[in-house]
Amino acid sequence: MAIAELGGKQIEIDEDGFIQDPNAWDEEVAKSLAGTEGVAELTEDHWKVVNYLREYYLEFNMAPMIRKLCKTTGFKLKEIYDLFPSGPAKGACKVAGLPKPTGCV
Amino acid sequence: MTTSTRSHKVQKVLERMGKKLNRQMFGSLVACVHCGMCTEACHYVLANPDDPTYAPAYKADRIRKFFRRHYDGLNLGRFFPWWVKARSLYTDEELEELKDIVFGKCTNCRRCSVNCPMGVDYATFNRMARGLLVSVGIMPEGVAHVSKDQWEIGNQMGVLKEDYLETLEWMSEELQDELGDPNAAIPIDKKNVEIMYTINPREVKYDPRSIADAAKIFYAAQESWMMPSEGWDMTNFGLFSGDDDLGGAVARRVYEKAVELGVKKIVMSECGHGYRSTRCEGPNWAKTDVAVEMESSVLTMLRYVKEGRIKVDKTRNTESYTFHDSCNNARSCGLFEEPRELLNLVVSDFREMYPNRAENFCCTGGGGAMSMSEYTPERLKSGKIKAEQLKATGADTVVTSCHNCVDGLTDLIKHYELGIKVTQLVTLVANALVIEKKEPASKE
Repeated sequence: MAIAELGGKQIEIDEDGFIQDPNAWDEEVAKSLAGTEGVAELTEDHWKVVNYLREYYLEFNMAPMIRKLCKTTGFKLKEIYDLFPSGPAKGACKVAGLPKPTGCV
Repeated sequence: MTTSTRSHKVQKVLERMGKKLNRQMFGSLVACVHCGMCTEACHYVLANPDDPTYAPAYKADRIRKFFRRHYDGLNLGRFFPWWVKARSLYTDEELEELKDIVFGKCTNCRRCSVNCPMGVDYATFNRMARGLLVSVGIMPEGVAHVSKDQWEIGNQMGVLKEDYLETLEWMSEELQDELGDPNAAIPIDKKNVEIMYTINPREVKYDPRSIADAAKIFYAAQESWMMPSEGWDMTNFGLFSGDDDLGGAVARRVYEKAVELGVKKIVMSECGHGYRSTRCEGPNWAKTDVAVEMESSVLTMLRYVKEGRIKVDKTRNTESYTFHDSCNNARSCGLFEEPRELLNLVVSDFREMYPNRAENFCCTGGGGAMSMSEYTPERLKSGKIKAEQLKATGADTVVTSCHNCVDGLTDLIKHYELGIKVTQLVTLVANALVIEKKEPASKE
């Protein structure tokens, strides 16, 4: 575990750069994390994805299926990849303050 | 063996080792002559030339010393431990140290194994050592998490059946829209078909584009195929954790579904460890004969092109491409030429990467390393050699037939700022597909 400065706060991250405590997350933290995943600016569309991921995670303690993400936000799969070049698992989930997805990712 | 000074876990590990020593393991444990060939072969060593603890022979000796103390057959280690450098294990702390070696300093890529003149298969007994630790609950958190999901839910990402089916339905709709044909759906649990297509849960959970690509290819080839509602996960964390029981249980699910539905062949999507586990290792772990043929989708797609069942236009893939051999596909299962043959049929600019085939270097994500964040910094550092290899090709895109390699390479490309894209054969084949308009009136 390491400490990183994200959104002006000292936050614990894992070795892949995912934050460890979901409560430490706020919009400023998200903006800093976005920078590490090739997203220069978080637009309204980005926030739609990020907010859904975070709400889902806080309720179910896991990342949603990409199907649920697309269905709820109304984005096409390709649009998710356009928004987050490193993909929904490593990109969008990281920005939304979720832990690293488990398994072969 | 006396138990008084040993922890209970250590006692269990030592007892279990005795049951795991087959001929291959025993030969590998006794045959090392410390010649150093493995040192040159290992990507961890090449990236850490000043740290001898990464050398395969050194790592192997951490396991050998307690093997020699208890099981070397001649009892030299028992009576003359100082002579053969035998030393037993005693404490849980020693097991934790062993965990950091067998999970954190080796990706079980087997490059040292194929370069050993004595035939020592270090990767295979590294896996055995992982299994010994896992049997007493000592493993990286990620491995524990994924293994639990595979035991309990039946796939490594805990995807529920209804979510899996809904995702396939979604991909069916997208495909029907794209092709303008209501018959372009993914058949589910269809009996007595030629092919049962199995995947990596990563595809359904995070990126089902590869499922749609495969479906499009099956559609174009007019294949009789389906995806099963259960037994669809052909990945297997038993390979990574060294737990043969888990390996057998996971593989058996796939085999049993194929038999139940009366399919002729199980086709596996592009996943190196899944292919090796399901096709090569699974029957041994599951202690069963499998009466169904098994094939990598690379071979299926190649067959379609060669037999003229699908038409491809290679000019549609316009970039320069190189190919990365997955350790499990290539070194362990001999899948060398077919992916290259297929790649050359769907792209115009292919550039070989050196070394390649059985001598290729690991993407650094092998052996389940992608799920062990605690070792990520060491993993990225060990990727130096792979990064140099990639860069030397000058290719825009690296193609690989393994999901783990996709993620391992993506991490390296980001870390070493190489600016190379990563893709799989299925995507390139689907992109090159020439689909002729369907005849308005079919015979049936």
